Amino acid sequence: MGGRDQKIAKKLEKKIVKKGFPDVKISAEEGIVRLNGRVNLWSEVITIGYLAAKTKGVKGVINDVTAGEIERKGEEKKVTKRDVYDNVSLPKRADVVIVGGGVIGCFIAREISRYKLDVVLLEKESDVACGATKANSGMVHSGIGESSGTLKQKLNVKGNKMYDKVCEELNVPFERDGLLIVITTETLPPKVRKVLPPFISNFICEKIIPYVVFRKGKKAGIPLRPVKREELLEMEPNITDKAIVGVYSPTYGVVYPYEITIALAENAIQNGVKIALNTEVEDILVEDGKVKGVLTDRGTIESEYVINAAGIFADEVAEMAGAREFSIHPRKGSIIIFDKEMKGYINHSLSELILPQDPHTKGGGIFTTISGNPNWGPDAIEVSDKYDKSVTAEEIDTIFECGSLLPDFQKSSLITYFAGLRAATYEEDFFIKASENVLGFVNVAGIQSPGLAASPAIAEMVRGILREIGLKMGEKEEFNPIRRAIPKFSKLGIEEKKKLIKENPLYGNVICRCEHVTEGEVVDAIHRPLPATTVDAVKRRVRTGMGRCQGGFCGPKVARILARELNIPLEEVTKDGPGSNLFVGKTKSLLAEEA
Amino acid sequence: MIEVDVAIIGGGPAGLASAMKACEEGVKDILIIERGMELGGILLQCIHDGFGTFIFEETLTGPEYAQRYIDEVKKTGINVKLNTMVLEIDSAKRIIAVNQEDGLLEIEAKAIILSMGCRERTRAQILIPGDRPSGIYTAGVAQRYINIEGVIPGKKVVILGSGDIGMIMARRFTLEGAKVEGVYEVMSNPGGLTRNVVQCVEDYEIPLHLSHTITNIRGRRRVEGVTVAKVDSEMRPIKDTERFVPCDTVILSVGLIPENELSKSADVGMDPITNGPIVDEQMQTSVPGIFACGNVVHVHDLVDDVSKVAEVAGRGAAEYIDGKLKKRRSPIKVKAGRNVKYVVPQIIHGEKFDEDIRFYLRVKEIEKSVKTVVLADGERIFEKKIKIVKPPEMVKLDISPDILNRITGDELIIDVEGEEDEEKS
Amino acid sequence: MKRSHNFTCIVCPMSCQIELIEEDDKILEVRGNGCKRGEEYVTEEFTNPVRMLTTTIPVQEGRIAMLPVRSERPVPKNLLRRCMKELSKVRVKAPVRCGDIIYENILDTGVSIISSRDLSIGNYSEFR
Ligand SMILES: Cc1cc2nc3c(=O)[nH]c(=O)nc-3n(C[C@H](O)[C@H](O)[C@H](O)COP(=O)(O)OP(=O)(O)OC[C@H]3O[C@@H](n4cnc5c(N)ncnc54)[C@H](O)[C@@H]3O)c2cc1C
Ligand SMILES: Cc1cc2nc3c(=O)[nH]c(=O)nc-3n(C[C@H](O)[C@H](O)[C@H](O)COP(=O)(O)OP(=O)(O)OC[C@H]3O[C@@H](n4cnc5c(N)ncnc54)[C@H](O)[C@@H]3O)c2cc1C
Repeated sequence: MGGRDQKIAKKLEKKIVKKGFPDVKISAEEGIVRLNGRVNLWSEVITIGYLAAKTKGVKGVINDVTAGEIERKGEEKKVTKRDVYDNVSLPKRADVVIVGGGVIGCFIAREISRYKLDVVLLEKESDVACGATKANSGMVHSGIGESSGTLKQKLNVKGNKMYDKVCEELNVPFERDGLLIVITTETLPPKVRKVLPPFISNFICEKIIPYVVFRKGKKAGIPLRPVKREELLEMEPNITDKAIVGVYSPTYGVVYPYEITIALAENAIQNGVKIALNTEVEDILVEDGKVKGVLTDRGTIESEYVINAAGIFADEVAEMAGAREFSIHPRKGSIIIFDKEMKGYINHSLSELILPQDPHTKGGGIFTTISGNPNWGPDAIEVSDKYDKSVTAEEIDTIFECGSLLPDFQKSSLITYFAGLRAATYEEDFFIKASENVLGFVNVAGIQSPGLAASPAIAEMVRGILREIGLKMGEKEEFNPIRRAIPKFSKLGIEEKKKLIKENPLYGNVICRCEHVTEGEVVDAIHRPLPATTVDAVKRRVRTGMGRCQGGFCGPKVARILARELNIPLEEVTKDGPGSNLFVGKTKSLLAEEA
Repeated sequence: MIEVDVAIIGGGPAGLASAMKACEEGVKDILIIERGMELGGILLQCIHDGFGTFIFEETLTGPEYAQRYIDEVKKTGINVKLNTMVLEIDSAKRIIAVNQEDGLLEIEAKAIILSMGCRERTRAQILIPGDRPSGIYTAGVAQRYINIEGVIPGKKVVILGSGDIGMIMARRFTLEGAKVEGVYEVMSNPGGLTRNVVQCVEDYEIPLHLSHTITNIRGRRRVEGVTVAKVDSEMRPIKDTERFVPCDTVILSVGLIPENELSKSADVGMDPITNGPIVDEQMQTSVPGIFACGNVVHVHDLVDDVSKVAEVAGRGAAEYIDGKLKKRRSPIKVKAGRNVKYVVPQIIHGEKFDEDIRFYLRVKEIEKSVKTVVLADGERIFEKKIKIVKPPEMVKLDISPDILNRITGDELIIDVEGEEDEEKS
Repeated sequence: MKRSHNFTCIVCPMSCQIELIEEDDKILEVRGNGCKRGEEYVTEEFTNPVRMLTTTIPVQEGRIAMLPVRSERPVPKNLLRRCMKELSKVRVKAPVRCGDIIYENILDTGVSIISSRDLSIGNYSEFR
């Protein structure tokens, strides 16, 4: 530890002891603080991490303090893998290896597929978009929810502007519905409301708060427009009486987060990138301070450039390289989806402004997916387990409270709920940097919300970093930014439908009663450049099982089509990869076992 | 554009029986549109026996019951389109359907019979928290997998819901060599018939836990277990009774919902309690010429009732296209009274009734020694004693024309009165 | 020795709880039944309980993968599981007619297992 580092450690130790954790060990190196020890509760681990991050001079926090109260084991059971999922053979070497096939990894892959490079993307799951990317609200935020001056905000504002073009190129739906930030009689904290005379708090809500929000937007280059009460009611006739005024953010958009990610992956493959699914990176090979390659559970790949886009596991992957300067503490968010029959009940996304704002989350809202399903949430809960994606009864109650903006909303139209984990660092900002200690290793970490919105800008930034650290990037003339989408039968007009069925009769076989998905679409999804090999992978591509019956009707059909097209027995079809088989065997097989 | 006299949407027992009746009544051009590869509807997967005790006076399996109607339909000139999904109906009775051979079909019908059946309630609709691994199925889907697709979903099974389908699946899994760890029921009484409690659950010594529910599902890739708990009188789980039950499969048998997206697209008026169309005594909906029958109207427990009421709809459709349908004068609303959840039909018509009307009612709670009472304008025009009423068993009331013709006013109320009520009155 | 057995009657919706008392398999008394049919039911359930067996048999070259079958008549309750085991090895080939005998005289009960639907030839794995 150098002199400055010692000072930091001392200062921090004092703070931590004062909070009542005398046993935590602290060391620091080049401003990176390492914490070790054991406390009782996970919430205490989090508190300690934030204490460290807020200490002056600290550049990064590696928090290895453990808690007695770990509810579940954070390990994945190893399962045998089958060939059907091994979609590509692993190359021996590559110019760039990307670890992680979320929206970030896939965006980077597509971005650098413009150049004459051999690029390999490795994803441990059986499909891309299986991490945070499949479990988010799909909002392309404007950036107004982020703290001024953060990298998050900067990249969000920039990324938002890039969305129209990229979605057009990839043929994925993108809509700018706009967001209404609603200021209500509950915006001011109860304490403040109690002491202020009503006309003053009213004045604050009606005039001052919208102005402050507006100014913040202006500074960051985010277009905003104050909305008076009458207009607010016109825009959202079903909104609560407690709404006072609003601020409208027209650049807010919405995408299907998995659809854009899959499209990016497909377009990257079209342009020469290899994407290996079911391939887990187990180690990063480093020699003399330089990256030499990655070791996976399916073999080794030599490479001098490795990009860490491993989401909530980014700290573990960084550790493999010896380039860890941060910790990821998973922050769970749950989301509730309602039937699309409620479409039209709201016209814009809505978010109630509640002061003081939680520094760690923008707070939940009421959004609408591209297909018109309202979705409420997410909440924010610190969890110790990187695999904990359960939705608790308490969370469902909390999220229902988001709905207080729409008091008469028919909650019984709920069709499903799910949770995702945000990859939060203690610094609460994106961590996008080439490692100084390990040449050729680039961390793209801490990509929590608004990671989806910022992803185009993040990819561009990473491209710049690669060039800076010496990667030769010659442009590829044949780069094709256009990706053709799977035709969506339900969205076509009568004549187009007729034509499509004539070309391929499988489009005449509707196998999903809720979303009117056809067999043609499912077969297409299975044979795309990035093949869908599981029930969930098909679902993410064509929406089978996303409607009100949640797969009751189409489930058996999709399973059978998968078996037929992949040429495997039905009992080997899985929900989302090895270990998630739908069946234990053929009918009668258990009786034979008994005998 | 195809033109037909009667188009029937759904080829389950309701669709089949209504088609047969319309044919008997002389309708020439009848088309059954079925999205499945075969006629028979849900019966094809209900391989157990217990069907047809009223209509055929013997106990048949589901496929046998269906087979009898299918054989009859084959002998007639009724047209059938299989593997054909109806996508939309408009209030002008134009149907859009699609299949592989014909592509997109536009069909114009003089009358339509809706017989789309129902779908199952899912996990989210009853808000079970926890993980979302593989291994969670609704009972009907599991039944389809085992009985038709030939695959078995799991070895160690927990079943939520003691309705008939849940209990039948408990037996089915057990007979196929799986271990059913228990059937959990949130209510304090079984949700299905006593016969099924005895023959599907007790026969195999499967524990039936009443007043219990699942409070959590756990498992990363595949279900690893569930947490179960006792519930209090308001059906809230009691925290300190929670217990973890390891299993690899969760089967949900938590209710059926009539499948009415098409009815809604045709602007048919709906009953929020049954979740089905509002129908009159001829099974006509609020849109003239559109009829409905079977599980699409309300969930039936006996297929015999479905077939019977489907005949009413079939005859109604025939009369409609002949212009003979009873003139719709002075509608009388039929309302659910004491301890009655709903009554079907919800409306009856006419100045003069000339035949029995059968009312189907579902009670809210178990009650012994009751009287069903029909009130018109405050007057008790009909009374019938019943030893016991239970929510799982539909009550049927046949009311004769001479009673019906005594109705004054525009409303009927049907009550189930307990013993004490009588004493009070 | 005197022993008591409890039954839930399934003859009508009343679901009477009926107690049967016997000594060395000789029925001494039946209590709790609301009617005569209840007594008959428990007597039968005690002396010779029988059940219909319904299950499926894998089909080769059929339009669907499984053929639903049932016992012609009810079989002794305690033989149900053994019947299942016996049938687990059976395979049939399409076509099959409703009522066809699939397995004769199962476990020497004199009862045959019959098909409960028509099943024509087809290739189920091709079917969508
Ligand atoms: C509830 C919730 C709501 C959100 N809402 C929004 C929103 O509305 N708008 C918005 O902009 N953002 C939102 N976000 C944030 C957004 O989802 C994330 O920022 C974004 O998805 C991050 O993408 P990623 O690629 O970094 O991570 P991930 O999608 O998690 O991808 C990381 C991938 O790396 C793989 N991986 C990990 N380790 C290895 C290994 N060793 N070998 C191989 N592969 C590995 C993982 O399997 C995973 O697929 C939300 C997040 C949550 C949780
Ligand atoms: C698991 C289970 C067990 C049962 N057990 C018994 C029992 O033991 N005894 C008994 O008497 N009754 C039993 N029943 C009840 C009885 O089977 C049903 O009441 C009866 O089948 C309902 O008939 P239906 O024609 O209304 O519906 P269904 O049988 O569901 O038929 C509806 C048909 O409509 C078709 N359809 C729907 N939408 C469309 C569309 N858009 N386009 C084209 N076609 C469409 C469907 O494919 C289906 O074939 C049971 C029911 C279930 C679900």
